[in-house]
Amino acid sequence: MSSVVVPETRQRSTATVPFRLLWLLSRPGTSSRAVSVLPVVAFGVVTALMLGVLGGARSFWSWDDELSGIYRVLSGIAVALLVVPLLSVGGSAARLSARRRDDRLSTLRLLGATPAVVSTMTVVESTLLALAGALLGVIGYLAMMPALGLIQFRGEPLGIGSLWLGVPAIAAVVVAVVVLAAVSAALGLRKVVVSPLGVRTRQAAPKTHWVRIVVGLAVIGAVSLSMGMLSAAPGMAVVTGILLGGSAAALAVLNVVGPFVISVTARRQVRKASTPQRLMAARSVLESPKAAWRQVSGVAMTSFVAVFGGTGVAIADAAGSGASRGSSEYFLMGDIRTGVLITVLASFLMVAASAGINQAAAVLDRTDLYVNLDRLGMPESVMNAARIRSVMSPLLLVGIGSALCAAVVVFPLTGIAILVAPLSVLVIGASLAAGIVLVWLALMVTTPVLRRVLAGASAPSSSAAQ
Amino acid sequence: MKPNILDTHLLYKNYGPSVALDGVSLGIEAGDAVAIMGASGSGKTTLLHCLAGIIRPDGGHVDFATAQGPLRVSSLSESRRSQLRRESFGFVFQQGLLIPELTAIENVAIALMLTGAPRPAAEQSAAAWLAAMGLQGLEARRIGELSGGQAQRVAIARAQVTGASVIFADEPTGALDSATSNEVMDVLLDSTVRSSKTLVLVTHDQSVADQCRRIIQLRDGRIVSDSDTATADANRPDQASLTGRTQ
Ligand SMILES: Nc1ncnc2c1ncn2[C@@H]1O[C@H](COP(=O)(O)OP(=O)(O)O)[C@@H](O)[C@H]1O
Ligand SMILES: [Mg+2]
Repeated sequence: MSSVVVPETRQRSTATVPFRLLWLLSRPGTSSRAVSVLPVVAFGVVTALMLGVLGGARSFWSWDDELSGIYRVLSGIAVALLVVPLLSVGGSAARLSARRRDDRLSTLRLLGATPAVVSTMTVVESTLLALAGALLGVIGYLAMMPALGLIQFRGEPLGIGSLWLGVPAIAAVVVAVVVLAAVSAALGLRKVVVSPLGVRTRQAAPKTHWVRIVVGLAVIGAVSLSMGMLSAAPGMAVVTGILLGGSAAALAVLNVVGPFVISVTARRQVRKASTPQRLMAARSVLESPKAAWRQVSGVAMTSFVAVFGGTGVAIADAAGSGASRGSSEYFLMGDIRTGVLITVLASFLMVAASAGINQAAAVLDRTDLYVNLDRLGMPESVMNAARIRSVMSPLLLVGIGSALCAAVVVFPLTGIAILVAPLSVLVIGASLAAGIVLVWLALMVTTPVLRRVLAGASAPSSSAAQ
Repeated sequence: MKPNILDTHLLYKNYGPSVALDGVSLGIEAGDAVAIMGASGSGKTTLLHCLAGIIRPDGGHVDFATAQGPLRVSSLSESRRSQLRRESFGFVFQQGLLIPELTAIENVAIALMLTGAPRPAAEQSAAAWLAAMGLQGLEARRIGELSGGQAQRVAIARAQVTGASVIFADEPTGALDSATSNEVMDVLLDSTVRSSKTLVLVTHDQSVADQCRRIIQLRDGRIVSDSDTATADANRPDQASLTGRTQ
């Protein structure tokens, strides 16, 4: 990065400064390549998934018979569930850009840029990366259409034609993704601007009150009780209503209890840790249980919904075996199961994308520390194990915890489900496991970022001296 | 005259067009305190990193004397050098660069745990070292809750806890004010030289260098002077090591 251009920069008007600086600083460096590729890939994944799911949902809207209402509501829920992980991908990408901003801060100061200019620049940058990713995502959506078209609903493949959203809708999704990215970049950045080292330098680990857990347990218990009465409830609509209300309440509880459970578990792990990687991982979770929760909360929702939806389907499957083969009721339950699986998978893909980006950002955030630990003789494998564990451990806790939680809430139903439809339950369990493996893979993918950081410390291309 | 614990022969290192080391040959006595001085960019850090096996020289070699005979550090694999660094060497850098989410005692203990020590034993040694650094009562503090001088002392404890025979320090007081800097240097010298460990110290500061027994001046990657200091007699390794703080 050169500072030769100083005089010229000072003479021009300030309005276009961010853009010109961006151009000036956009030359690829060793770390910045990962920094821009990861968000693009993540936004690409998100956009493609969003378009695919919307396409599927749209095809339901073309039906009109007595059950199409249910299909519409359910597809709406699936789309809504995907918005949370989508937001978290946006936030992660913004954080990665903020990291890049720190890298450049000294250069920018030399060029006479104010913090406002730096912030604008970063927001512009993440927005551009999101745009590039969204466009890639559209290509991915087009490429996926033949495969998605084979998915069966109502006993027939959807077909490519019904998945096609049309140009205006696709453009709207691209715009929405880009706007989301811009907003979350701006919000994420504000935190960074207020306190560049916020998380790291905070003096004491935050405490979460035990009252939360008591309230949480009470609500879960109440919901579980009302589920108990559910089996007596008349009619599909009422059952669906109670299920939805119950899951909303339980999810709200999860959100309150989640960070607390994560911090209690991490504290216990700190005490018990017998290896450096376990100790480092547990401490880093404990550093910010809320951040750890935010990272994996998408999974909490998903596994909750998976168990809920899966159980409901299993029951209805067993109960509704009387429906005549080929009728629309006959297909509804199978279709819900398909929908649940797709939603679980899409949501895990997004969580994986966001976890991957966050880890890349975390490595870049701590370049100095990692380089130093390497010099002290800490093996790369230990550093890697520590950072991967710091995501996987809350992920497993939350994934399994919320699945169990859902199972408790619907206990009166689950018990029966396991007896009458073990296959549905198995399928749901397998998809949760697959999702967890997916996130782990995304974390493994960031290993080269760490390797490059460590190699860069002694390579001629890194910053000179010291 | 004690045997040399480290020997280098005609070290060369380039970074692209810039020459960082230009034929450095140097022997370091076991138990000695050696200061490396020179202008910024003269190759001090590069020399230290070659000596410690952090980087490999482009030419020449580095030998480290072990009980089993000399070990050619400069031709060991990356993972063997990493092992050597964590088992036989200790490091103190300008910024302690301690792990911020760990407590003081955990930061020290982890160095020992990396060599395979079980955690309770590691924490016990770590506590003893923190106490020796004058940090008793601060064991459970997180790094953000320590002053710069205290953090540097934690870093010194971390460097020492494994019983390293050579301590490498790169401007360890560079970020401290002069009073704190003196305290930290006292602790560093006290825990190395006066315990018959070897200290290789990079510094800009003449008064810091004066506390070592030997001063080497670098310019443009070459040794331009190599002399004993006034404190030479007081710090002579074979007369020191009375405190005998061994680990
Ligand atoms: N990683 C590196 N990449 C490029 N040049 C480097 C690197 N490390 C050191 N140098 C160059 O090598 C020379 C010596 O550097 P260094 O050993 O850090 O000096 P000192 O520690 O005395 O300030 C300098 O010219 C420096 O710019
Ligand atoms: Mg230096």
